[in-house]
Amino acid sequence: MGTVLTRELLVKWAPLIVLIVLILFFAAMEPRFFSMRNFARIGISSAPALMVAIGVTFIIIMGSIDLSMEGTVSVCAVIFAFAFIAWGGTLASVAWLALPLALVVGGIVGLINGLVHVKLKIPSFMASLAMGFVGTGFALLLTGGDRIRVEDELFRGLLTTRWFGFPIMCYVAVAFLLIAWFIQTRTTLGRNFYAVGGGEDLAHASGLNVNRVRVMGFALAGVFYAVGALLAVGRIGIAETATGSNFMFVSITSVVVGGTALWGGIGGVWNTLIGVLIVNVINNGMVVIGLPGYVQDGVLGALVIAAVVLSTDRKSVTFVK
Amino acid sequence: MDFERIKPHLPWITLLALVVIVGIADANFLRPQNLIAMAADIVPLFIMALGMTFAIYIGGIDLSAQSVANMTTVVATIALPTYGVGTALICILAGFVLGGLSGYVTTKLFVPSFISTLAIGGIAFSTAQWLSGQRALFMDATLRDNTFGWMTGNTAGIPHEIFIGAFLVLATYFLQSRTTFGRALKAVGAGEPAAVASGLNVTRIKIMAFALSGLLAAIAGLLFSVKLSGGSPTLANGFLLPAIVAVLVGGTPLTGGVGGVINTLIGTLIVAVIRSSMLYFEIDATKQQMVFGLVLIAAIALTIDRTKLRVVK
Repeated sequence: MGTVLTRELLVKWAPLIVLIVLILFFAAMEPRFFSMRNFARIGISSAPALMVAIGVTFIIIMGSIDLSMEGTVSVCAVIFAFAFIAWGGTLASVAWLALPLALVVGGIVGLINGLVHVKLKIPSFMASLAMGFVGTGFALLLTGGDRIRVEDELFRGLLTTRWFGFPIMCYVAVAFLLIAWFIQTRTTLGRNFYAVGGGEDLAHASGLNVNRVRVMGFALAGVFYAVGALLAVGRIGIAETATGSNFMFVSITSVVVGGTALWGGIGGVWNTLIGVLIVNVINNGMVVIGLPGYVQDGVLGALVIAAVVLSTDRKSVTFVK
Repeated sequence: MDFERIKPHLPWITLLALVVIVGIADANFLRPQNLIAMAADIVPLFIMALGMTFAIYIGGIDLSAQSVANMTTVVATIALPTYGVGTALICILAGFVLGGLSGYVTTKLFVPSFISTLAIGGIAFSTAQWLSGQRALFMDATLRDNTFGWMTGNTAGIPHEIFIGAFLVLATYFLQSRTTFGRALKAVGAGEPAAVASGLNVTRIKIMAFALSGLLAAIAGLLFSVKLSGGSPTLANGFLLPAIVAVLVGGTPLTGGVGGVINTLIGTLIVAVIRSSMLYFEIDATKQQMVFGLVLIAAIALTIDRTKLRVVK
């Protein structure tokens, strides 16, 4: 066994195995878990989280971290809702322009985030944490604490219109997952993320403009946060300062549990899909088998520690801060 | 004049300048009663920031402080009828254990502190929700006054919170500058590999630093809970950002090794003055978070020691 079951192999397939075991476990505990209706429910809760988690995946592949998603998501959601309502309030009018506007806003917020990190030479976790606070503050400033309802039936079709049992938002999420996969494997930018994460000195020495890649990464992440914001608004029909709440914990947990290493260079968007599904299957399964919802944060907290420990090669790490 | 030479003095100069500016704008601000009330109000935040100082001093961060404080408010409210004064001990112990756990996960399991503390924070949050049944709890007023009334009382016009804050800053100052542990902390913060090479038990020192952070966050939660006479899993929300700001604005950089608890005292006062000045300049409360976020970025950019960061990740 020792030669067949190497550590790398285990680390590579562990997330998928965990996901399958979890599904079997919950299905055995409660047959209702294993139904189309419930899978659709998991899909709905996963879709916005998947978008946010994919955004931060790129950053983590570079070996950095982005903790600004809560603020960015709130800002995008709120600006989208204001523009959408001001321009007509239905997708059938020019108000559809609010959709690309939200993506642009997300990109700009990400860009600022990246510039603060790179130009001021502040470690990304702190730069992005601070930017996240600024974002949440900005969203609060725009709304004054109010909730904005987005009731257009066409837009809410993201949730209400179903194809083969799954709402449209799930297909949108899959489409963006494929786009992210394309960026990751078929574009120079995507390969550069791995180069920076695998060894920044080497990347720099080979003539790569590392700072530019970093800033681009944060901007790209911002665009995906914006998609997440749109799906989140589509799901509940409300945009507010709290739209972004809890995305930080869930998305970071998902990425790490999916097997993308915090040290950079390893993992990718498919890992993140598995990670998001693990997190949401746990959340949903605990509710279905009748466990109180508040256990989730604790379980996820323990899970994320286990995932980081499993994915860390002790030999290559001397100390951490 | 070299910027590096003024840098250590920037925090108190900033504080002085802010006080003068706000004082000129509104003389009422400088009234002793107002200053005392302002100081008393900030004490729970100050205690949390004191703890955060230790985590940042060794080059880490404690993102669980707010959740630990939240959990303590619940624990304090639940334990009060049964354990009386012993409640304080339970709270302090709970904070110490959770902080120590963060430290253990960071040092022994090689999980970066911003992730490990985030995860431990999640566990604390779950615990708080479980204990409280997801409701806001209230303390019995007479019971509270009999047991912890001394925390919020008044002597000669000075609220007791100020004494508690003063006691804790003296105790932590003693710990930081007059004990072997304090010197070891500085060694770890200034350069971890060198500290390891000189035979210090760095792992234990780092775990202790996180445990202290948890302990002080718990005291902050306890005091806050007594002040508001209750507890809930979200009572102390909104503490994390100003606590980190207080440490960094005070001049303890993210890279560690410099600064300390006195810096945090000045930093907290700066936060307090900024907060009240917003009131005087009639800046909307909704703008506060944004302002503090921007102040945070500026403070980090100014204080961080870039020679210690070979690669900024």
